[in-house]
Amino acid sequence: MAGLFDTFGFYWGPFIAQVIIILIVYAILSKFAFGPVMEMLEARRKRIEEGESNLKKIESELAKAEENVQAMLDEANKDAERLISEARESADAVKSQKAQQAISEAQGIIEKAKDQTKLDHERVMNELKRDFGRLVIDATSKVSGKVLDDSDQKRINEETAGQVAL
Amino acid sequence: MDSILSFQLINSLNPILAAGGIAADKLPFGGWLTNSIFVAIAVLLLVLLFTRMATKRMQLIPDKKQNFVEFVVEFLYDQVEQIVGKHVAPKAFPLLATIFVFILISNYSGLIPGVGTVGFGETSAPLTLETVSHGDEGSHGGHGEAEAAGGAHSEHKPFTPLLRPPTADLNLTMGLALVFMVVWAWITIREMGVIGFLEHTFAPKGGLTGFMKWALVPIFLFVGVIEIISIIFRPISLSFRLLGNIYAGETLLHTMGTLGEKFGLTGIWAFLMSVALPIPFYFMEILVGLLQAVVFTLLCAVYIQLSTSHDEEAH
Repeated sequence: MAGLFDTFGFYWGPFIAQVIIILIVYAILSKFAFGPVMEMLEARRKRIEEGESNLKKIESELAKAEENVQAMLDEANKDAERLISEARESADAVKSQKAQQAISEAQGIIEKAKDQTKLDHERVMNELKRDFGRLVIDATSKVSGKVLDDSDQKRINEETAGQVAL
Repeated sequence: MDSILSFQLINSLNPILAAGGIAADKLPFGGWLTNSIFVAIAVLLLVLLFTRMATKRMQLIPDKKQNFVEFVVEFLYDQVEQIVGKHVAPKAFPLLATIFVFILISNYSGLIPGVGTVGFGETSAPLTLETVSHGDEGSHGGHGEAEAAGGAHSEHKPFTPLLRPPTADLNLTMGLALVFMVVWAWITIREMGVIGFLEHTFAPKGGLTGFMKWALVPIFLFVGVIEIISIIFRPISLSFRLLGNIYAGETLLHTMGTLGEKFGLTGIWAFLMSVALPIPFYFMEILVGLLQAVVFTLLCAVYIQLSTSHDEEAH
């Protein structure tokens, strides 16, 4: 075996030197290449995993948010419909109330007008009676040539008024 | 040193082997430093430089260099994980990836022009660092160490390539294999324990019980002994396979580069042949360099998987 190694140029000095070189290369590559690169690959893998995990979380939260938004929209639609309905009912009630109020006011105005008309009628009638009585007294005194006293005037006025009232 | 850089035609009729022979040569100026150690140090510095550049300022959004390194590391990790399993992969990956990267760069370093052809001493390739003295022909390769290191003033200067792919040197391939075996043993003991490893190797498998179990104990003991022998020979097979393939590739390229000379061509024709003939084989060596790095790493991963996989009855 020793002869074989000798033939192929195996010598302890160069052998040990080569082993040292191999160990140095081993150490260099382990420390400066494989170690940092594996750490970097691991860090990148973790980051990708975290990213994917975050993405799933975000997707889940987005779905939840969409559900919430949909629920809120539904709720808002319901509220809006309810409010519109209430507003419509309230408007109808107000409309009805205002109409009633207008009718009653109109009736009041009509009643007042009627009363006023009645009063005016009575006043005109009283004035007419008074004027007519005075005309009758004047006519009577001129026709009879007699000065009428108060009792006569009163009696003529009453009779005249009674006849005018007819 | 009275060396000059010069173009010179091949004048040797001998070499049909890679320049420098199968043993790595000592460099004239280095003492213990061989040409393969010299290139291994260059590979080490290259690895250090590139990894520092690529991973100095790592960011979650990578730049091109970081992206390339991450791609390579992730790809290798996935391959290792598929073989050795998720549990063992973090422990086995750094060594297996180091082996792959180091072997790959070392293999490809042999394809750089000048590696194996630029050197000291007697010429054996078109471009050499030629010493002043020229001796007799035909003493390339072999044990150039003593001659190259000691014979600075001798008349004959055997050719010593300045650069040699580290994986074309048994010292490095054996070193790789032994480092792997040490780490393999550490991972195996950590995963299985000593008793677990012995049970895994020698105990009857397949969920046998009763008489059959005890009847087959001698057979499984014998198989265990064979397994131990095969484990002992793993570094030999790993290192010699890699050495053989890469050295053969170097030899092939060198032979193709000098084939014109062998056929008696001279001058510009020999030069053109030395350029044209190796080109197809360069492509093949690119494939072989990758393939051998994969084979070595894959076998190491399989060895780890074999010794750390639990038997079905253990689950």
